[in-house]
Formats: sequence, C-alpha cells, structure tokens
Amino acid sequence: MAQSGQSGSFAAASASMTGMKARASSRNKAADDRSKLFDEKFLKTLEHLHMVSRKVFAGNLRAERRTRKVGSGIEFADHRTYSRGDDFRYIDWNLYGRLDKLLLRLFEEEEDLHIYILVDVSDSMAIGSPLPKLHYAMQVGAALTYVGLANLDRVAILPFSDKIIDRLPPARGKNRIFRVFEFLRSCDIGGKTELGEIMKDFVAMNKRRGLAVVISDFYDPEGFEKGLNTLRYNKFEPFVLQVYDKKEAEPNLHGDLALVDCETGDTREVTVSKSILQQYTEAHEKYCKSLESYCTKYAMPFFRTHTSIPFDELVLKIFRSGGFLR
Amino acid sequence: MSFLGPFALTTWAYIAGGAALLAVTAYIIKMRRRRFEVPFSFLWKQVLEQKDANALWKHLKRLMSLLLALLIMGLILFSALDPTLGAVDREARNVVVLLDASASMRAMDGNEEGTQSRLDAAKQRAKELIDSMGGGDIAMVMKVDGQATPMSRFSSDAPMLNKIIDDIQPSDTPADLTRALGAAADALRDRKNPLVVLVTDGAFPEAQLGLATWDATSKDLAAVQLNGIDVRYLPVGRRSDNVGIIAFNVRRYIANKAAYEVYIEVQNFGSEPARRQLALYNGDTAVDVKPIELMPGQRLKQIYPRLPASGDNKLRASLRPVDGAGGSDPFALDDTAYALLPESKKLKVLMVTQDNLFLEGAMLVYDNVDAMKITPEEYDAKPSYADGMDVVVFDDHTPAVIPAPPTSLLYFHPTGPNSPFKIAGEQANPRITDADENHPVMRWVTLSDVYTDKSNVFAVDAAKGETAIASSVRKTIIAAKREGRRKVLAIGFSLPAAGRESATDLPLRVAFPMMLVNALDWFAGDQSDLLTTYATGVRERIPMDGVATATEAEVTGPDGSVTKTPIIDGLATFYGQRVGYYDVVAKGITGKETVASITLAANLASPTESDIAPSSELTLGGTKLEAPIAFAVSHTTKLWIYFVLLAMGLVVMEWITYHRRITV
Repeated sequence: MAQSGQSGSFAAASASMTGMKARASSRNKAADDRSKLFDEKFLKTLEHLHMVSRKVFAGNLRAERRTRKVGSGIEFADHRTYSRGDDFRYIDWNLYGRLDKLLLRLFEEEEDLHIYILVDVSDSMAIGSPLPKLHYAMQVGAALTYVGLANLDRVAILPFSDKIIDRLPPARGKNRIFRVFEFLRSCDIGGKTELGEIMKDFVAMNKRRGLAVVISDFYDPEGFEKGLNTLRYNKFEPFVLQVYDKKEAEPNLHGDLALVDCETGDTREVTVSKSILQQYTEAHEKYCKSLESYCTKYAMPFFRTHTSIPFDELVLKIFRSGGFLR
Repeated sequence: MSFLGPFALTTWAYIAGGAALLAVTAYIIKMRRRRFEVPFSFLWKQVLEQKDANALWKHLKRLMSLLLALLIMGLILFSALDPTLGAVDREARNVVVLLDASASMRAMDGNEEGTQSRLDAAKQRAKELIDSMGGGDIAMVMKVDGQATPMSRFSSDAPMLNKIIDDIQPSDTPADLTRALGAAADALRDRKNPLVVLVTDGAFPEAQLGLATWDATSKDLAAVQLNGIDVRYLPVGRRSDNVGIIAFNVRRYIANKAAYEVYIEVQNFGSEPARRQLALYNGDTAVDVKPIELMPGQRLKQIYPRLPASGDNKLRASLRPVDGAGGSDPFALDDTAYALLPESKKLKVLMVTQDNLFLEGAMLVYDNVDAMKITPEEYDAKPSYADGMDVVVFDDHTPAVIPAPPTSLLYFHPTGPNSPFKIAGEQANPRITDADENHPVMRWVTLSDVYTDKSNVFAVDAAKGETAIASSVRKTIIAAKREGRRKVLAIGFSLPAAGRESATDLPLRVAFPMMLVNALDWFAGDQSDLLTTYATGVRERIPMDGVATATEAEVTGPDGSVTKTPIIDGLATFYGQRVGYYDVVAKGITGKETVASITLAANLASPTESDIAPSSELTLGGTKLEAPIAFAVSHTTKLWIYFVLLAMGLVVMEWITYHRRITV
C-alpha cells in the first residue's frame, strides 16, 4: 500500500512539473542555480558541526537512540494489565504478590531512529536576497542530515511544495552525504505550499515513525496547523524550522504597486504608505508568533531564523537546545 | 464681466471640452503600476481588508482628486479667456488701427511750424485714440506702407500699444491701402463690433480707394469686402506744395560706352508756381546745376546727352531749395534720386590664332576692345604674353599653360585633356536645338539654323558650376563656367580658316559678332540692357550675371542693414524699402567667395506718393469715411492673475497632500 501511494504521489508530482517549469521563468533565477550550494567549505563546516555535536553530547552517543516504541528492550518503561495471550515471562510476579493483580512489565524497544528532513521547495522559498530561503533551507537540511547520518540514524530527505516532489530513501552512514548533496542539487523546485495535503501523503508513504524535521517558511494560505497535526496524530515527532527573509518581514516598499503572489499569481493593487507597511510588519510578526505558540503548546521543538543568520550558527543552536540530538 | 482673450468663446469651449475629456480619460484609464513579487499575499490581503473598510472614503478621494484636477484646468483655461470686470460688453469694440507709414508721411507738415512730420502727427492721433479706448475695447496696430505689417495682437494694454506706435518708422515706399484693408478685414473676421481706423494723410490713388466694397453680394473679387466693418478716418497733414523728381535714369551709348546720357523728370504737385535748383552729380562731382521754374502741375523732362564717363558710376540728381516764395516744400524724400551707370571698360584681348579673318573681323566690330594677335606657337613658347590681358581667345588651340585668373578665356574647338570642359565625344552635323536664352552670352542670338559639319561634345558638370549654353539634343556644343573671378566660354567647333577641314556658316551670320560681343561684355561684367534703377516698394527680380551655383544673396541697404534674398534661376528677388544704393552679393558654395555682385539704386519714383496733398475727406468704395466716435470709458479689473494664482495654490496643495500620502 505504501509503495503504491508513494508511486502515485510521484506520478502526480511529475504531472505538475509542466506547471512548475512555466512558473520557473518568473521565479528568482538565483534560486535555480544550486551548483555552488555544497562546496568544500560547506563540507568542512559540516565536519566541524559533527565534531561539536560529539563534544557537546559526550557520553550520550552510542549510535543508537531510543524511540518511544515500547517493545523488547532491556530498559523498563511501564506496566500494563495482563490480557489473554500476553507472554507469561513479562508478568511482574512481585507485584502480583503484593497487589494480587496480573501486570505486565513493559520495556523500551531499542531500534534505529528514522529522521525525515522535509524541505519546502515551493516558489515562495525562492525569494530572498542575497541568499534565497531555499538555499538556506537546503544547507540547514544537509547539515542536519550529515549529523544524523554520522550518528548512524536512518535519514530520508523529501523536498515538497504542493506535492512531495521526490524522495531520497532512508540511509545511514556519513559516506552517503554526497548522494544527499547531489539529490538536493538536482531535485525539482517550485509549486505552491500546501502543508495539509503534503503531510497526509508523507505519513501514508512512511510507516516507520520518527523525527520529522519540517524546514519551510510555512506560508500556507490554508494554515500550518493541519499539516503539523497530521504528523502529531500519526506519532511522528515534528521538528519545526521556520525560515524567512528579513526583507519579506520588513519590506522597503513605497508608492503605487501591483503585488503579485509568487505562488498563486494573485495580484493586488496597493498604494503603499507608511501605515500600511507598519500594519504588514505587524501581521507578519503575528503570523510567525502564532506558529511559535502553536509549536510550544504541543511541545514541538520550534526554531525561527532568517537567512542572514549563518546556517551553522542555527544548527549549533538546535544542538544546544537538545531537540534534535538525544 | 467680459472676455477679452485671443480666442472666440466657441474655440475656448472646444479646447476646454477636449481638455476635460482628456483628464477624465486619464482618470478612467487604469494606472500602470510597478509589479512586485511577494511570497505570501495572504498577509497583504489581511492588511488591505482592513484598509478596504474605508473604500468609500478612498473612492471619494479619487473623485475629489479628479474634481480638483478639473478645477485647476478650468481655472487656467478660464484665465486664458482674459476675464475682465468693468468692461462694457455691449459697446466693446475690436479695433484695427491702420497707421500710414508710407513715404508721403515723411512730409514735415505735422504742425504749423513744420517741425513735426506727418507720421509723428499720425502717431499722436493714434495714441490719443488708444488712450480713449473703453475698458472692453481691444485694438491691434498695423503699419501700412508697401506692405501691411501687424505690429501687435489685439490688446487692451494701452501703454504697450502706445510704445508699439512710438517705435514705428516711416518707409520710403508708396502705401498699399488695398492690402492693408484686406489684412484688417481678415483680422476682424468673426469679431464683435469691428472697427478700422485709418490714420493717414489720405494721399491714395483713386484706383486704390475704389478697390473696396460694402456690398455683401458684390462679385468684384479684387475689391476688399468691408461689409459689417465700421471704417473711420483720422486725417493728418496740412500742405500740398511739393516738387519732386519722379523719374531719373541713365544709359551708356551702345556705340560709345565711354559716354552716357541722363534723363530726369521733375513735377510740381503744388497749386502755386515753384522754383528750384536742379543739380546732377557724378559721385561727388557736380556735373550740372541749373535753376528751374515750374508752373502748378507742370512736368519738366530734362535730358543730359553725351556726358563723359568717369571712374565713379554713381549718379545723383538733387532738387535744391531756393530762397523766396515757392522755393521749398515739406517733402524732402523725392528731392533726391539715385542712378547707376552700367559698368564698362575697354577690354585687352589677346587672340591666339593663325590668321583668321572671321575672328579678327568680328573683333574689329567692337570699339571697346584693344585686341592683340599672336600665333599658337608664339604663345606656347612664351605664355607670359597673356599677362595683364582681360580676355584670351584660343582659336583651335588648347594650350597646356593657361593665363592666371582673372583673365577670362574663350576657346574655339578645344581638344585633348587640357580642354576647359571634359570632352565626351564628337557629333557630326550638330543642330542647335536648345539654347539658354537667359545667359548673357546668348542675348539676341539665334543659332537654330547654323550649319556645322562636326563639333566636340562637352560633358558639363553642373556641380562645378558649368552650364550648357547651346546643345544639340542634350549634347552640349557651347558651354560656360565660372572659376572664381575668371569666366570661361568654349565653343565645340572651329571657325573656318585656311588649312582647316571644318566647315560652319556661323561666321557668316549676324549671330557670330553678336555672340562675340555678348561674350566680351559678359567677361567684362557689362550688360547694356540691365536696369539698375528701381522704384521702392516694388518686388523685382534682378539677373545675377549668369550665376548658377548660388541660391541666396546678401543685400546691403543704404542704411547698412544686411538682409538675405533668394536666387532662383539666376534671378535675385529685390525689394527696396529705402531710397539709395543697394549692394547685392552672391556667394559661392563655400559661402566665402563672391561669385557675382551688382549695385542697384532705388528711388521713390512715384508721382502718386509725391502728390502729398492731404485729404480732409476720404471716400472708400463710394462711402465717405467719418471721424471715429468717442469710446465708452470705464474702469476695468483684470481677473486672470487671480485665477492663475488660485490654480497654482491648488496645485501646491495637491502636491503636498499627495506626497504626504493624505490623498492616496
């Protein structure tokens, strides 16, 4: 089932390529050129980040991580009431002696952690100067992938817009990083942001639960809640990274303009005055705050960054907060 | 309120309607906005939805902006109508003041003492008229002489009109009343209460006074249509006694160009006998001075025969006043007349020829020639024979060395590379089919039946100033050109002579000596039929000595003023505004080298204008003209400046509110 859903989704993605290519002509040309995105300097920075991550979390990195999955591990997790058919070996006889109730001992199951890096490659991510948000998101995604691979986690990368455009299957071992670079360089970009539909496709395609790192600007007219809720309800651990450009938060505009939405093509004519600019800045801040408070409310790690902050600085911040490495 | 602007109200309405339509169209047309790409228009939508809550106010602002633009435009257009308070609309008049500035207005009888000219008196009358204009009246001043020149537009600005009147200078030309009335009638067309005021001495010929009609149904196309126009007359001038030179001309004798004769005609236009001294000058030298006495209306014709020519070719006739009754008059302009003696001098001609009786015989016909003869061999051995010669004639000989300019050259049958014109071939039995009759060489010459057995054909390059004088079906047989001050004439065939095979009957025809004399006169710059004395106020076309390359000539007038005049087909247009001598100079293509020049004399030479008798009454087209009635006087206030200031204030306000983002 998962396979058919996956192939169907890719077919739909390729069907929408024509539309994407048409839009690509109006897209930021700088975003299309990703040839110098992952150079030698970038690789050195990744290695440095990996070293730092080991130093910061020394003694806590034995390659494996625990998932919340309860199974046949050695570390006690919880009790539950015995039901017919359960393994007798796990009945806690001491408790039976004290409480006269048959309770089973549960252990945390140890297995490889699956990390899914979901990178938003919609048209809105192509905006940004001097560095498009897309490039920034890909660099952050690649850095987190590298650390995950180096920690022997299984890391998959899924670029998305209104469809999951492509998929780099889960792999482990840091020698896979060049495949990741090649994948990010060559994957198609463009399209609208539709988080709700995307996450539905994502959970259908990926049955193994794990960490879902969503790197996006979260500029979805339908709202971000639907997508993140889908992840939560399906036992994924959402990890939210919001990327924005400073100029889109505080645009320097004036006069009579026709504002064109880069994704939908909707045009609105407006005479930009100081008061309108002020209202827009407030609206943008409010939108970002609503995302942040939503994530806080549901205990999802959340990071907001703009493209002026170096990506390695952001990655270190993520490490220090402990949401990514455990 | 009345409107004194330069537009009729209907014209104004069209302009205002067009402008308003443009403004409204500009507001309806969608503004072309700068496109800006945003990542998330959802946020902008939220912001603008709040703003759209004020959509009614926004639309109102847009409407107000349109109304403001229309108001500004309306104020400016309204001020263009020159709205004036206090003008009496009903009696307001559109006046054309025709101020006579013709020659007769120079007569010094504007006042009793004889210290003021008629023109000064006329100016005074005209200014009094302007000053008496009412608030709603507007006037235009037009100067009348040989032409009709509007000096101002219609205006009620009396000081400005007075200054324009003060600046008018008299001409030395007769007045063209018909043209002036036509111009005034055109200027007053479609205007309310049109009025023409003639300020003049009334000394117009009857023919001109008859060329006007008040009948709207008149079929006389030559007459000026004055129907509906009130024409009034303000007379000036007091005296009618005048003795003037009405004709003065001079000519050389064709047989003896060293002598000339002069013709002078003097008339007494007064009603009393007159006495004067008539003096004739050649340059500054008095040739003859004699007292004359003329009865009223008498015309004296005086001829001075066989006067010896001197170096100066300028002649002047003068009527000097004498003491006693009838010894002077108030009009001095026609007391002096100017004339020019046509240029002439004895030419030194060198004939380079073997014995050729036809050529030598023809040369002997002409008195003004000092001819010398050498053989071609002698010339080739010593070309300096030609030094100091005015003309060298090469008979069937084309030397390699030619005399230095300005020696002019005449070739018979030039051959080879040294030919003055490129030789394009040879033509057997050529018949002259085309001849340039305007060229001085071809005056009175007919070559159509001349027989020639063969002739060289010249390739004439018009760009170099070369002209074909005679051609046989587009093949040039005779050509001429100018090389700076040198003139060159080439005839493609030989004259008959001993030992030559060529045959032509040209030397047996009258055309041959005639053409030779013409050529020598052309070389000398002498045209015996050229008139050099003209009347002022008449447009003439003056031949510029065969000039082909120049299109414009400079005319230096008696007062030193320099004007340009076009040359078309070798004829320069000449219009004499003042009496005296004029120099007309045509420059070459480079604009520096003089290719032709001529001096002309201009005289009043108009018995009509010399008859200065003023008319206290004037009858135009059969209607007696009355004196102007008094204008209605009222106080006026010009409002246009206030409207313009208001419009400027609104523009400033709109600018500020736009840039402060109040109205956007």
